[in-house]
Amino acid sequence: MVRFIHLADVHLGAAPDRGCPWSHAREEEIWETFRRVIASISRDPVDLLFIAGDLFHRQPLLRELKEVNYLFSTIPETRVFLMAGNHDYIKKDSFYRGFAWEPNVTFFEDEARTCVRITELDTFVYGMSYHRQMIRENLYDRWTPEEEDGFHVLLAHGGDGEHIPIDARRLAAAGFSYLALGHIHKPHALLRGKAVYAGALEPIDRNDAGRHGYVEGSWDRGKLRLKFIPFASRSYENLVLSLNEESTQYSLEEMAKNSILKKGGQNIYRLVLQGSRPPELVLLTERLKRIGNISEVLDESVPAYDLEELERRFRGTLIGDYIGHFSGRDLSLVEEKALYHGLQALLETGIINQ
Amino acid sequence: MIIKRISIENFGKIRNKTMEFSPGMNILYGENESGKTTAHTFVKSMLYGIQRQRGRAARKDAYTLYLPWDNPAVYGGTLWFESGGKNFRIRRNFYKENQSEEFLCEDDRELLDIEAGDLEAVLGGVSETVYENTVSVAQLKSSTGTELVREVQNYMASYQGAGDSSVDLGRTMQRLKMERKGYQVQADRLRRENEQEKEKIASNMEYIRRELEGLKEQDAGIRESEKKLHAGDEGSGGQIFEERIYRLRQKRKMWCLTGVLAWAAAIAGAAALWYLFHGFSWFCLLPLSAALAVSVAAFLANSRLKDEIERWQRQKKRWQGKQEKLQWSREKLRESEREKTTALANLSAEYQEAEDNACHPLAEELEIESLNLAMSTITSLSGNIHRQVGGSLRKRTSQILSEITGGKYADVLMDSELHMTVNTEGRVIPLEQLSRGTVEQIYFSLRMAAGELLCGGEKFPVILDEVFGMYDEDRLAAVLEWLSKEKRQVIICSCRRREMEIMEKHGITFQKVMM
Repeated sequence: MVRFIHLADVHLGAAPDRGCPWSHAREEEIWETFRRVIASISRDPVDLLFIAGDLFHRQPLLRELKEVNYLFSTIPETRVFLMAGNHDYIKKDSFYRGFAWEPNVTFFEDEARTCVRITELDTFVYGMSYHRQMIRENLYDRWTPEEEDGFHVLLAHGGDGEHIPIDARRLAAAGFSYLALGHIHKPHALLRGKAVYAGALEPIDRNDAGRHGYVEGSWDRGKLRLKFIPFASRSYENLVLSLNEESTQYSLEEMAKNSILKKGGQNIYRLVLQGSRPPELVLLTERLKRIGNISEVLDESVPAYDLEELERRFRGTLIGDYIGHFSGRDLSLVEEKALYHGLQALLETGIINQ
Repeated sequence: MIIKRISIENFGKIRNKTMEFSPGMNILYGENESGKTTAHTFVKSMLYGIQRQRGRAARKDAYTLYLPWDNPAVYGGTLWFESGGKNFRIRRNFYKENQSEEFLCEDDRELLDIEAGDLEAVLGGVSETVYENTVSVAQLKSSTGTELVREVQNYMASYQGAGDSSVDLGRTMQRLKMERKGYQVQADRLRRENEQEKEKIASNMEYIRRELEGLKEQDAGIRESEKKLHAGDEGSGGQIFEERIYRLRQKRKMWCLTGVLAWAAAIAGAAALWYLFHGFSWFCLLPLSAALAVSVAAFLANSRLKDEIERWQRQKKRWQGKQEKLQWSREKLRESEREKTTALANLSAEYQEAEDNACHPLAEELEIESLNLAMSTITSLSGNIHRQVGGSLRKRTSQILSEITGGKYADVLMDSELHMTVNTEGRVIPLEQLSRGTVEQIYFSLRMAAGELLCGGEKFPVILDEVFGMYDEDRLAAVLEWLSKEKRQVIICSCRRREMEIMEKHGITFQKVMM
């Protein structure tokens, strides 16, 4: 049985959410989580480790390569396969060129298909590296595995229009046993049990919401088993808070605090406010940002106005005209906001009759 | 439209009360707090339903305010009115648990549907707000003269700009501007923070650039030392040492050879002298001692040369050591330079990304854009209303004012700063300089003019709620005369007998309704 771990898009050296208080800690955590993966392999060695590109966020420095190489030297029983992705692509003067890797490490330095055979494991690993940031050709589509029995793994990076479009069905049909994919940060299967994006090991920015980790797998006489292992030290979460006509700043803060407590205080949240709020409620979003790791507050809530009723009540006056100006058509985000801003100002600054 | 009869079953503090109104002048007479305003609200609620707020605002909405304490399940009554020559009856129960409404055309005995908009059609499309702005005229709230003038000016401005006296355009715009300012401050702060991040990256880049400069200087220093090493006093390169040592070795060899030759020559010489003198002679020792002298000299020279060679060899070693060290530092330097160049390129990519990010609009900027749109829309819509209402409102107000003052005040004007003046006997007088009574008359004219303009075709009744408190007798008489000549229903709410006495005195017919 061949046991392996497949990870991707570690982005060492990235400093997420610049300007946020946790940015520096995140930069450290990305390195630390990679070290933790290697440490866990060293405790319970697997046969193969696949790193499907973008190990580094930008061009690796020599000392960083040495650091990574040192980490690989601590797992000598594991064969490591890695490639350069679009972020750490092999530039002309890249330190990747001619770097002396540990004997257990295979770096696919060429831009052309390279096949490495591990006889004792009946395993073939195919790969290449990015030598430019953008590759529009679907390079992988022409690839076929060697015509021999065994575990044929394609280590590939890309899958969108500018980074080698990938036709997983075609590659699976060509005879590859497993497509270890990288580039898309959300962990998901492109083809169930066959072609899998391990996703970013740690989320890299606020758009990488949800769980992150790596794929653990085994190959036993033609049978492939895969399992996703959540491993990231924290996650980005969207927290939707529904407002109603009874909501207050305090109730909203309590609601957010409780949800964050339940979902984990270490995580980083994007608060999305929805529903209808009491028109007189003035939301202090800056205060909301202080109750946890809040990357941003999106206020999609609208004042609880019954527009039809108001338009009927105020027809023939400015307020009626104003509502009429915005009704009966699809509004852009700015127009919708303008409608409520203006309406609220007109209604609330008015002279109260009787 | 004419309100003919109201029958209040249970509304606010009024229970089981019916009132009849004439199509002309009516006086609704009652003590303070006797329920005149309640009756007035009842009529409006019959026509437009009672206002209910949601959420916390519900605690002080009209529904809650007029919900009867006793038997609230019956909360409402009946209103009979005439409109467009037809008679109608509306019955409503407002109580939320058993709400009901019934709208009947009494002439055709036809049941109409309020939900479907039948009542709206009968009322000629006059909305609740327009009704409030035209039908009901309340007392001016201000107690002091300046406040009063401001209130009248606000009314005029609100009518002209919004067709609604309850809208205060100045404050609306002020509030929107304040909101915009708030977002602007936030946006500026975020932009500044982003700029600071960028500066941080830039200063890091500058630091690395300077380090690279330093490396270049170091490199130049090494080159210089190398040059010195090669082109110093000792000549160039390691070869010179080799040559020197070689030459010294040759010299040493020469001295050895000289010694050997000297001895050979001495022995030959000694042998020759031996032969010449047939046996030993002291002369025989001469060449030998000469050879001895020569070999002593050679020995001395040799050891001197040996020292020198050793010295040179030491120097050569030192030179080689230096050379190796220089080479090593050059290699280090080159590596460090590559590392720093890569780091610099990475930082520059990061800087570029930060710059690209700055192009994305912030959420705050979206708010600012929407506030600007709100302001420009309000301004342009208000401009439309002003064009439609403004001129005719001013004209009609002036006309009414002239009629109720017997032509004394001819023209009401308003400038762009919402400052009102009147024309009297060829002089332009600001409102502030007029007596309170005259300002009240201007207010009255304005309200009457607005009522006519905003309602359109159908003439609505006018309910005057304690409006004539500050009028002296002459003014009151003139106003009442004017009202009685207008072809519309007038309901004057009053707690004094003054209005009735004056009407009786001037022979104006009216109906008295007791609270």
